Amino acid sequence: MSLRLAEDIEKFVGRYSIGRDSNPYDTTGSQHFLRIKIPGGVLSSDQFREIALLSSKYGRGFAEITDRQDIQLHWIRAEDSLDIFGVMDKMGFTTDMCGQGFGGAKYGDVRNVVCCPVSGIERNEIFESYPLAKEITRFFTGNPDFLDLPRKFKISISGCGADCTRAVINDLAFVAVRSEGVTGFTILIGGSVGPSLPGPRLAKPTRIFIEPKEVFDIAVAVVEIHRDYGNRESKAKARFKWLVEAWGLEKFISILENKIGREFPRYDGPVFIRRADHEGVQPQKIEGYWYINIPILGGRLTSSLMIQIADLADKFGNGELRLTPTQNIIIPNVKEDSKKTVLETLAKTGFSMNGSKTRWLSVGCSSDFCGKARDMHGKKMLKDIVEYLEEYFGVETLNDLGLRINVSGCPHDCGASLVSDIGLIGKQIKVNDCLIQVYDIFIGGSTGEKPSLGICIEKNVPAEELKFRVASLITSYIRNRKTGEDIGNFYKKHSNEKLKNSLGIRR
Amino acid sequence: MIKDKLRVEKVSEGLYRLDTRGLVCPYPQLLVIRALNSLSSKDVLEVLIDNPPSVRDIPPILEERGYKVDVIQLDNMTWKMLVRVSK
Repeated sequence: MSLRLAEDIEKFVGRYSIGRDSNPYDTTGSQHFLRIKIPGGVLSSDQFREIALLSSKYGRGFAEITDRQDIQLHWIRAEDSLDIFGVMDKMGFTTDMCGQGFGGAKYGDVRNVVCCPVSGIERNEIFESYPLAKEITRFFTGNPDFLDLPRKFKISISGCGADCTRAVINDLAFVAVRSEGVTGFTILIGGSVGPSLPGPRLAKPTRIFIEPKEVFDIAVAVVEIHRDYGNRESKAKARFKWLVEAWGLEKFISILENKIGREFPRYDGPVFIRRADHEGVQPQKIEGYWYINIPILGGRLTSSLMIQIADLADKFGNGELRLTPTQNIIIPNVKEDSKKTVLETLAKTGFSMNGSKTRWLSVGCSSDFCGKARDMHGKKMLKDIVEYLEEYFGVETLNDLGLRINVSGCPHDCGASLVSDIGLIGKQIKVNDCLIQVYDIFIGGSTGEKPSLGICIEKNVPAEELKFRVASLITSYIRNRKTGEDIGNFYKKHSNEKLKNSLGIRR
Repeated sequence: MIKDKLRVEKVSEGLYRLDTRGLVCPYPQLLVIRALNSLSSKDVLEVLIDNPPSVRDIPPILEERGYKVDVIQLDNMTWKMLVRVSK
């Protein structure tokens, strides 16, 4: 190895890494993944094309859009990584630091800052959040003061008045609000739906009001609090939610106020004022322009599809693309007279532009690569279920329900199944000395105006029966709901016994 | 700090040490291979490592290249890898 290698390593450490694909059943043959951070999910068609080429050269032609607006490649070899980092450096992108592999409460980093995917173009937007996401990302990337947090730290910024960023599952969420006619932000803290201690938690609203110019300083101050006061004795207790729970909101706010040097005014208004509605084809702030949200369902794409999407953005948009926190891609700035052509081209390419809203809302994890799971895996399971439901109920009925179905292949719940209308969390159990993949079914989780964690209504459903069980649940809800009653409330008022009865398989 | 990690330290005649603690993939693997290429055939390289994925990944890669690797766990978060260059 050359001197050049030494220089490259020095340049890349702290900004680039590859994570280990660790499915013990080696379902894919991939040893490492590369998680490319796309701040706020915004990138150019040229950058998207360049990532498609990386995928083609090093990642067997596949890429995944993650629910934190990253792009993930698999089958990355350590010996190719410096070349890949070099290409990424030219593009201006970095990666997650993947410190979760370490044994202790250390080497955590600030993950990709998620923001509203239509920031700056959404009608009725409260505040354009993308510039803030970019500024915060730039500050933390490779910053040696923030590369040894007790554990990873997740930030989101939402400016459209809806919860398209799923604020409640972040360690720190900024949400744009208006208070007495003044635009600012309120923050939520301590969210994480993973099983680390003290267990799944929704981020708590602090009820403080901050000015937009304070967002950056507050982001830094809160990450410093995590770094300096977070639990370093145990990895299981090292997520920020543990500290928030131990301190309580009052103590947290008091320490934050001391760091910032002023008391924050109270904000008692609503955190979100509407339901996110960025799916399909939507008009933009400027009359005559539209954004087209392409449902990817699970986020997995081939490099050839990526290049086709980049070409469409060049030809009919302004050469820009946006990745969404539900694993889809948006082509913004499409003119009225080009809309039809883009939609027809996408349909010909195989994207289900006329599919159900559930395609846009749902998330599936990559358990075939990283989870302790077997078939069926998160993304495949999601696709199988949504296709079956569309056939069984029809798109119109599913659109009326507007269900979010998140699938995680293992109990780490990377797919955030606990905050979806129907959440499916996989695990393995032994039956007749054989390990089989089963799923627990959770109902009634949600983000947004009334956030809640789903409740488990049935455990250990064999993977091959899952879509039929989900269809039974929906049928029972459709038949017996009261007007305006959502699926979560419907199921929460029933006893476990009744719920189990409604889970009978209907084929 | 990283400059220290890039350096192979001579401990005694024929024994060299590389400290990769704090580094994530791919750096421990790349640094170990780089260090081995700079040693002579009778030398032993001692690698300090605290990244479990690298502890799993590196031995099979080196063994495939003909090296002999012994892994000793020093505590619940640190390992010492002894790599014999002699093939």
